[in-house]
Amino acid sequence: MAAGDDRALGELYDRHAATAYALALAIVGERADAEEVVADAFGQMWRTSAQFDPARGSVPAWLATITRTRALDLLRARGRRARAIERAAAVGDAGFATPLAGGGDAPDRGVERTEARRLVTRSLAELPEPQRRVLELAYFGGLTQSEIAAALREPLGTVKTRMRAGLEKLRASLAPLLSEGR
Amino acid sequence: MTDHAWLDAAAPYALGALTAEERAAFEAHLADCAVCRADVQALGEVSGLLAHAAAAATPPPALRERILREARAVRPLAAGGRGLPWLAVAAAVVLAVAAGVAYLKERGSRQMLERAVAVARDSLAAQQQLVATLLAPDVNTAVLASKGRPPTARVFWNPSRHRVVMAVFDLPPAPAGRIYQLWAIQTGKAPVSLGIFNTAPDGRLTTSLDVPPALVAFDVTAVTEEPAGGSPQPTQQPFLVGKLQGGE
Repeated sequence: MAAGDDRALGELYDRHAATAYALALAIVGERADAEEVVADAFGQMWRTSAQFDPARGSVPAWLATITRTRALDLLRARGRRARAIERAAAVGDAGFATPLAGGGDAPDRGVERTEARRLVTRSLAELPEPQRRVLELAYFGGLTQSEIAAALREPLGTVKTRMRAGLEKLRASLAPLLSEGR
Repeated sequence: MTDHAWLDAAAPYALGALTAEERAAFEAHLADCAVCRADVQALGEVSGLLAHAAAAATPPPALRERILREARAVRPLAAGGRGLPWLAVAAAVVLAVAAGVAYLKERGSRQMLERAVAVARDSLAAQQQLVATLLAPDVNTAVLASKGRPPTARVFWNPSRHRVVMAVFDLPPAPAGRIYQLWAIQTGKAPVSLGIFNTAPDGRLTTSLDVPPALVAFDVTAVTEEPAGGSPQPTQQPFLVGKLQGGE
């Protein structure tokens, strides 16, 4: 492998590892597991990088997708999904996101990331609680819409409506981070 | 668009909250519906940003070295050669757009952009080569399938260029520590590896692989799942098999 490749991977890590690690940790709940997930995700990215198609999304989005998938796979493989569902359903107002004040962001080059975090965290916190709840249960809990409906004892249609309403509101408030807003 | 019957599937889909069956049904619809595709694309981008809402956490310092070390041991799957530099610059360019002027002040950004241009040029050359491989008159085609159900794959074998192009559909990425491997089989002989590959999270891949010079003809192609790095010979029964047709 050329030295340039090595630098590129290091660069990618420095930019995105903290976000990927935080995401993995929010899903799997344990640091050692989160490390496995991030190592796996970067490994997969590395092996398949030639297939990356920028027309279909940004690199951070791609990494987040891989990381989330791997983290949910790990939960399933460890037979911890049931526990994750309970935990997800039991999480109170705190949710998976924490206020930035509690943050302690990684000391790497995180200017853009910090901006994104601030905006996403705030926008999510501003959603009506029932909408935020279904988004978090799906995204961080890996629950299907039917599982969410069961966990919350709400009709499936209500869950779907909240998902759409929540995403549409975020779409408006996160416009600066979205390609269509540029 | 509000009376569209599928509309309420787009948000759960974008959040990954459909069951496998629900997802398959919706994806079949997506193939024919530009309205839903645009909807899913927009909502998917929004849901992807939820990653930023995770409580902040700092990865342990040793993780960086571990990832770089593991990467050194694995050759990235080639499609025109170098994957990652291009990935990193793509990341940089995307961030540059998002962060605007702030990013451009960052040291080295100019070199990054120059590299982005060079890499885009390489990428175009690779695409052109892929098209040329596909369009030659002597190309043989194999449709790889398992009992008519997904996943499926198509392999195009171009003997004059000594390359194959492979398109894979509906194949989830290999589990951690595993990789897929494509084999060429000539009746009565041991399988020959054509290379390892993995699919993107959406289950797809299009790639171009060099065929070993010693291999001049084969009848069948097959795919197995192997330990990361691939195996000299298949270690399991192939889950995708296809016979080559046509050409010459």
